[in-house]
Amino acid sequence: MKSPASASWKAPLKFRMPTAENLIPIRLDIEVDGQRYKDAFTWNPYDPDSEVVMFAKRTVKDLKLAPGFLPQIVQSIQSQLATFRSYEGQDMYVGDKIIPIKLDLQVNHTVIRDQFLWDLNNFDSDPEEFARTLCKDLGIEDPEVGPAVAFAIREQLYEIAIQNVTSARENRISKKGRRAAEHFTPSKASGAALDLMKLFSFRSSVVRKRKEWDYYKPVLDLLSNEEVDALEAKEERSGR
Amino acid sequence: MAEKSPVKEAASSESIPISNSNQLKPSPQFPSKFSSQTAPNSEVPSTPTSRPPSADADVVYVPSYSRWFSWDKIDSCESRFLPEFFDGRSASKGPGLYIYYRNSIIKLFRVNPSRKITFTDVRKTLVGDVGSIRRVFDFLDHWGLINYSASSALSKPSKDTGSNIKSSDSPSVESPSSAAPTSKHSSNSRRICGACKSLCTIACFVCDKYDSTLCARCYVRGNFRVGLSNADFRRVEITDEAKADWSEKETLLLLEAIMHYGDDWKKVAQHVGGRTDKDCVAHFVKLPFGEEYLRHPLSNDDESGFETNKRMCLTPLADASNPIMAQAAFLSALAGVEIAEAAAQAAVSVLSQVDGITASREGIGSLERNSKRESEISSNGDTNQNALERAAYADANSLLDKEELDIERAITGITEVQMKEIQDKFLRFEEMDLQTEKERQQLESMKNLLFIDQLNLSFRRNYT
Repeated sequence: MKSPASASWKAPLKFRMPTAENLIPIRLDIEVDGQRYKDAFTWNPYDPDSEVVMFAKRTVKDLKLAPGFLPQIVQSIQSQLATFRSYEGQDMYVGDKIIPIKLDLQVNHTVIRDQFLWDLNNFDSDPEEFARTLCKDLGIEDPEVGPAVAFAIREQLYEIAIQNVTSARENRISKKGRRAAEHFTPSKASGAALDLMKLFSFRSSVVRKRKEWDYYKPVLDLLSNEEVDALEAKEERSGR
Repeated sequence: MAEKSPVKEAASSESIPISNSNQLKPSPQFPSKFSSQTAPNSEVPSTPTSRPPSADADVVYVPSYSRWFSWDKIDSCESRFLPEFFDGRSASKGPGLYIYYRNSIIKLFRVNPSRKITFTDVRKTLVGDVGSIRRVFDFLDHWGLINYSASSALSKPSKDTGSNIKSSDSPSVESPSSAAPTSKHSSNSRRICGACKSLCTIACFVCDKYDSTLCARCYVRGNFRVGLSNADFRRVEITDEAKADWSEKETLLLLEAIMHYGDDWKKVAQHVGGRTDKDCVAHFVKLPFGEEYLRHPLSNDDESGFETNKRMCLTPLADASNPIMAQAAFLSALAGVEIAEAAAQAAVSVLSQVDGITASREGIGSLERNSKRESEISSNGDTNQNALERAAYADANSLLDKEELDIERAITGITEVQMKEIQDKFLRFEEMDLQTEKERQQLESMKNLLFIDQLNLSFRRNYT
């Protein structure tokens, strides 16, 4: 069987989020004076830098946080932005990449677990759209679930994109050139690409096997208050 | 899903309450301005009210300059202020997305209209990048479509300046009510930036075309609207503006101090009290007759008596408690317009003869001020002013002519001198020329002699 990687090896692209909009996930987890602020949202890296300060000010004001949060928030956002920008100029290799994305979130009273395949090469993909549709289809009433889902997807995409960049860097460093790339991409993408071959080879059909249905089904749980509290307590304990 | 709520026009001129009930009270004030956009809303019957709508709970107030808003449509001002959704730059960020953001934010707000909704609440519930959500939120906030509860005193001034800024931009369904707050707040000294909604502190940039204000940061970042460029903005110093309200007393003190101290602005500032010397200079220059005082610092003893009189006249003018001034005002009122005018003119002419031009102009200035104040008291302003203005004007003209003559004379003198210089130079050059000519001739004759000598020598040699 011809190595799938050689057929699908593409010229390296500049690093960017493999989505329609080049938005990056930002996660904040700051503790000041016993007050803990955890947050996760998507950010547009092309917004002017003053946006960061303004956003931080509004957040502190809206959530009535201690003013000591402000510089920390600003710094955290800016460092994450800087990390993104440091990756930005570099190349990343994209082979044939269909990856499974897993969701395992607990937002307020809703727990959602899901797994689905996502095409990394599709630069028109839109996690936000996906999240909106998911929430609408599952009839999720809590409006905070949508952004959390979109954020989780984005985060995973971001990490994989970073992995691509680092692998490209390693290739260059090792100076093995094209051959190494070919070797690398199949091994890295083995999880997904081989899946692809298995899935779309002439012998199997596109329809998923029944036993795999359970894996790929979204699971939605609504928790009661006690369960929420129990989960939170567990988290804090594990954090400590 | 989108509730079509009928629009109820209220008696208050600044806001339109949008009610969930089916009542439609006729508006006493703007029957003609009821726009067609909101009409379809009123026709759709509301959901059968299982809970009877109480007047306060379900009425949402929206300022009249935002009446273009409708759930399904996008107004032109929205596309202007939030171009990122409408310029087709990114496939997913389209008008549909904008409508989704906007409607969800407004719905979220209307769940509990008495509570101000914060940006963080909103962005936690909306899928998308926080930058664009923030912009939509700010836009809605600014146009009063959310967080426009009359109870919050904080929002009032910014809303009014918002109406001041935005009223010129809203579409033609402009009601007189929004014009009222603009006139009321055109003198509002607090400047809120139109783009980032922060208080302008040091300097701000005002665009007169669209009557919008930007703080310095937004101006530098180019955060203004589509049709504007850097050149359309003029710089306005806030610190000057904030203190620009010079009261009458302060102005009087200022003039007094200037008469006393002339050019020593530090003492002037001290005298005025509460103003820096720069402020005093700036304000003084802006005064209508400032120039006269500037050019002629008082040092004349003749005028000192006059000064005191002027001082006495000027300072208590504001409160008219000085008996002399009160009498003068009373007399002028009694005497009537023409007599007061004639008296003033006579005084002016006498002054111009007696004291010379400088004093007369001072006198005119102060007298004009006096008469100005009088006329305010006696409401005979125009004629007095005109007469004195004419006198001052005539004087000024004659002075101008004299100066022009002086200048001309000076210029002719200069040109004469220069011509003489040139003539001298010519003469010298001629002499030099003659001399060189003579020398040349001498040289030639010497050359000839030499030639002759050489010839003789060669002849002699040949013969012998």
